[in-house]
Amino acid sequence: MALKRRNLIISVFALAATAALLLWRPTVLIYGLQAAGLYAAIAIPMGLVLGIVHIVNLAHGEFMMLASYATYFTCKALGMDPLIAIVPTAIVTAIFGWIIFQLTIRRALKAPELNQLILTFGIAIVFSQAINLVFTSQTYKMPLDYVSASMDIGELTFGIWSFVFVAAAILFAGGLNFFLKRTTTGKAALAVGQNPKGAAIVGIDVYRTYGLVFALAIALVGAMGALFLTKSAIFPTVGSPFTMKSFCLVAMAGVGNIPGILSASVLLGLTENFLRAFRGSREWADIVFFVLIIVVIMSRSLKGRKS
Amino acid sequence: MKRFVLAIAAIALVVSGVAAQGTIKIGGIWTLADITGKQGSAAAQLAVDEINAAGGISGKTLQLIVVDDEGKADKAAAAVEKLATVDKVDVFVGGMASGAELGKIPSFKKYNKVVMSTGAAGSATVEKALGPSPESDFYFHLHPWDYNQGASYAEGWDAIQKKYPNVQIKKIFLAYEEGAFGKSSWDSTKILFGADKRYTIDGAPFKSALLGGGDYTAVLEAAKAFKPDLFLWAGYDADALPLLEQSKAMKFSPGIYLGAPPGWPIGFGSSRLANNVMLYGMWSTAMNDTNAQSKKFYDAYVKRYREEPATYFALLAYDAVKILANGIKAAGTTETAALVKALEATSYASALGETITFKPSNVIKHQGITRQKILQWQGGLQEVIWPFEAATAAPVYPFPAWK
Repeated sequence: MALKRRNLIISVFALAATAALLLWRPTVLIYGLQAAGLYAAIAIPMGLVLGIVHIVNLAHGEFMMLASYATYFTCKALGMDPLIAIVPTAIVTAIFGWIIFQLTIRRALKAPELNQLILTFGIAIVFSQAINLVFTSQTYKMPLDYVSASMDIGELTFGIWSFVFVAAAILFAGGLNFFLKRTTTGKAALAVGQNPKGAAIVGIDVYRTYGLVFALAIALVGAMGALFLTKSAIFPTVGSPFTMKSFCLVAMAGVGNIPGILSASVLLGLTENFLRAFRGSREWADIVFFVLIIVVIMSRSLKGRKS
Repeated sequence: MKRFVLAIAAIALVVSGVAAQGTIKIGGIWTLADITGKQGSAAAQLAVDEINAAGGISGKTLQLIVVDDEGKADKAAAAVEKLATVDKVDVFVGGMASGAELGKIPSFKKYNKVVMSTGAAGSATVEKALGPSPESDFYFHLHPWDYNQGASYAEGWDAIQKKYPNVQIKKIFLAYEEGAFGKSSWDSTKILFGADKRYTIDGAPFKSALLGGGDYTAVLEAAKAFKPDLFLWAGYDADALPLLEQSKAMKFSPGIYLGAPPGWPIGFGSSRLANNVMLYGMWSTAMNDTNAQSKKFYDAYVKRYREEPATYFALLAYDAVKILANGIKAAGTTETAALVKALEATSYASALGETITFKPSNVIKHQGITRQKILQWQGGLQEVIWPFEAATAAPVYPFPAWK
């Protein structure tokens, strides 16, 4: 009862804040949600890996970077639009992710967490340095007309293309929810995530499931790599800031909490854009991100101690 | 057996001594993962090969030994040490980022060999570290300092407004990346354009895509509200096209849309959005039609490397080697005092479209180029707008409204 009442209060407060923001600075809400969509769509696959395989993949952003480079050069060679390349890129990166898992990560699953972190950090460095070696630090960007699509509401003009990331985030979250709760493989993956030993006793191939989940996450990151290319220039280190942001969002949401990643992303996107709307606070946007994480994690720890 | 080994060693020593006597070694330091360093070192090698093919310098051949500084000050300092002590180079060439250049200065001073620097605009760091004459006389700085650049932009815009009365600039907005490069651009813009109150200046920072940003909506909102005649952004190549795309999405079209990144992304000119964007620089392929030196360099570079020089840093490196070679030839030695004296008499017709001579800057004694150019993307090419003597096209003004 108390929980229901608290949720109602939070919902009413969030709605009131949204309405006030919409009236006062509509662009903060618009661009905040667009940014949230991008953050969430990239972070959700990391949440999946952390929730089921129990590994922090510090090469997460670099997988996206590799997918962006693969998409860029394929599209250039074939005169193709990156949007058409989303599914093929996802399939290729899934296979690549599965190979990387089998060759490296699988062998470190029973190792201490620090070893796992060092391993994935090493993979990240190898990926970005290999790209740097082959393509140099020169940036690449596909000129695409549709990314400048805009909408006018009264005197307000704003870009609408980045809402595609909101759609991607919702699709990823909804799709994963369906996969994990309604399919046999998904249920097996959830079981492995919750209790690998128990899952093995009932006949689930734990390592095969880990490999599948990792490949699925890398497929989603690969798809995001193709989509990301429409909006951003790419270069060897383009992925690493997203590894950090994704990790922080997953930490804020709590391990395995995919809807929580969506909420955390909205909070981050709106806060960042709210601060950027003021002259005096523009440069605080990055700091507030980490302040939010500290506050959320500390309050969760305090609550845990109380209960 | 012992005698035989000793004899072989003695012969080897004599042979290597003779070979070394016939070679002038140039130590080149660039960031090779960066396009400016990759192409700069390639252009320097092209210059070395051309000189050697023409008989070298007084019967001696040039040898370029390149070390990668990885864009880091510590690696750059180590590169100087290695080139000076292991390779025993006679002179140094190269450089781009001020941070890496700063790391080299103490070692440069220690070895006191002539340096022909192709980069480093940061006067507050590099020029300050070099110090005044005579302690920095070994250092020849080809690239303009940041205050040279700023002064030439102010001069350029005054000249353009005078020649084209329809170009009216009263309000300037600077969108600057929040790192050191952007902030120093903001500080110098305020001083250069805002000091005498002729212009109203405003600005806002943004996080460059290169540093994990890439969302320009807030800075563009601020710029749009300010209604500038000249919108200038100081960021990196990764920001160029996304910034334009977001400007179009927000229907932000100021009278002049100008970008000042150190380099432009590959294929930028092929984007329809790029048309009529202005930029600061030193060289463009359009100059091949008006400048024989430029065409000669361009043709040789493309023939050799099967790619276009993407930035003016390739030409600076090429010129640096040629100027050094001319100086060594005139001095008849690489000994520092004599070579410095010979280089002080330099008058070199550069592929960049100007004659390079060395004059004192605010601090050092040997400053080469002081003026940059104002260019504009027109039909996929960078056309020179100013200085008028190097112009390849008239400016398109105002920047057309987005359709």
